[in-house]
Amino acid sequence: MATASAGKVRHPKGRAIIPTEQSGLTWLTAFLDSSVGAKVVVALGGIGLALFAIFHMLGNLKIFQGPDALNTYAFFLKHDLGALLWLARGGLLGIFLLHVVLALRLKWRTAAARPVGYAYPGHVQARVAARTMALTGIVVGLFILFHLAHFTFGWVHQAEQDGRLISYLDLRDAHGRHDVYTMVLAGFRTTWIAALYLLAQVALFVHLIHGIPSAFQTFGLQSRRTMEIIRGLGWLTAGVILLGNVLIVTAVWLGWVGTS
Amino acid sequence: MKVTLHIWRQKSPADQGRFVTYSLDQVSPDMSFLEMLDMLNEQLIQQGEEPVAFEHDCREGICGSCAMMINGLAHGPERGTTTCQLHMRSFPDGAEIYVEPWRARAFPILKDLVCDRSALDRIIQAGGYVSVGTGGAPDANCLPVPKTAQDKAMDAAQCIGCGACVAACPNASAMLFLAAKVSHLAHLPQGQPERHERVRKMLAQHDREGFGHCTNIGECEAACPKEISVEHIAQLNRDYIAASLLSLVR
Ligand code: HEM
Ligand code: SF4
Ligand code: FES
Repeated sequence: MATASAGKVRHPKGRAIIPTEQSGLTWLTAFLDSSVGAKVVVALGGIGLALFAIFHMLGNLKIFQGPDALNTYAFFLKHDLGALLWLARGGLLGIFLLHVVLALRLKWRTAAARPVGYAYPGHVQARVAARTMALTGIVVGLFILFHLAHFTFGWVHQAEQDGRLISYLDLRDAHGRHDVYTMVLAGFRTTWIAALYLLAQVALFVHLIHGIPSAFQTFGLQSRRTMEIIRGLGWLTAGVILLGNVLIVTAVWLGWVGTS
Repeated sequence: MKVTLHIWRQKSPADQGRFVTYSLDQVSPDMSFLEMLDMLNEQLIQQGEEPVAFEHDCREGICGSCAMMINGLAHGPERGTTTCQLHMRSFPDGAEIYVEPWRARAFPILKDLVCDRSALDRIIQAGGYVSVGTGGAPDANCLPVPKTAQDKAMDAAQCIGCGACVAACPNASAMLFLAAKVSHLAHLPQGQPERHERVRKMLAQHDREGFGHCTNIGECEAACPKEISVEHIAQLNRDYIAASLLSLVR
């Protein structure tokens, strides 16, 4: 892509950024090169990821219905979906990469917009969540990598059964299915792992209380009249995700679940 | 009253620049901030020193010249007020006041508190012309403008191009300025034929001048002496998305 980005300032008299003759590719380049266009894609990705986070949390609440419910659900996701599983995984990865790469590229470019800062910094209404989007985003991103290494690949930690250490992926239940329930118990009964998960949930919450209302603004879907409601929607959505996930982790950690 | 000023002094664009501290006595609380600076400059001239360079013109809050960062806030601590309309009664007696120029890559500093804001003019220029009917005077009321559209257009048209939104924005983004210009014309019947081209061209120029992108933080709205709402940025985004999609299917 022939974009003059990379944190450098484009020359005010540089080449026209709006191509006169249009092909699909030049259109895409111009759209992604513009600060609003790139932001729209970041916001679309963010909303996609947030929706995923909601359904992921809701599905995992099955842990409160007991081992059978959770393992059946996990089996359904992994086997009954078939090719759809790979479609969903590919789609999620694509959305995640688009979100992260475009957001960080915008940040990197904008870092050049004020080379000399103020000696006396001040602000009136900038919320902490708004100013720390890149930071909370990076924490969430690192956590997602950890989460995959932990539960999807089983690299981080092993379960203990009858005094033996067993890889997460080798755990089987009475029906011969992958015993996700025991795996989750093994994970969250370990204090440092539980603490890490809780910390990441707070970062995600802070990312979303700004991110969700901000996405509405980016799509142009709010006015002064609806601003407060949309901000409330952000708090509510982020709060529900936080509550659900924290409930799962603490319930296992404190032994409310799985001490039969 | 008595104030201690820490003012950014920079001889030329290439000069390093530094803060210089001045104490000023017998400042009247009824003086405007610029009158207080005039008083300082008179003393400096009498002492044979170079006066502090700052921009000003109307001194009644309508031209947007008087750009300065006062204690970390663009146009100082009062909301909806330009520096020339800010009065010394807004500061306590014995106040320590830091005065800095707008800081942005797109606003190079020329001297002391004066920076070059012509990037904003080039954004307006990039918008191009607005087609209007010429010929005989139109009949009254033949171009109806709904009241709500009128109100929004007038709110947006209040922008005086001071650049406080850029100065206050942590991303040094001129999105509020750009949005005010785009939203102003978007709500009026004149210039509708160019509406979609205009927003794309103006945004492209905004980005190319080296302003940052908008992360919906909202500091601009708090700094704007004309209290232009960030809802105009939503209007800009809406127009840009529509214009881009329409250009694709054209
Ligand atoms: C589950 C994971 C994530 C969710 C649900 C999510 C959600 C969102 C949402 C809804 C937005 C608002 C878009 C807008 O401002 O219009 C956003 C913005 C942002 N996200 Fe994420 N995000 C996630 C992961 C990440 C990661 C891993 C990173 C970085 C490494 C990241 C970095 C950012 C940044 C920097 C912004 C601000 C973009 C801007 O306003 O310019 N996010 N995110
Ligand atoms: S939007 Fe407000 S702060 Fe920005 S240039 Fe216009 S008047 Fe100044
Ligand atoms: S001097 Fe004109 S607005 Fe302040």
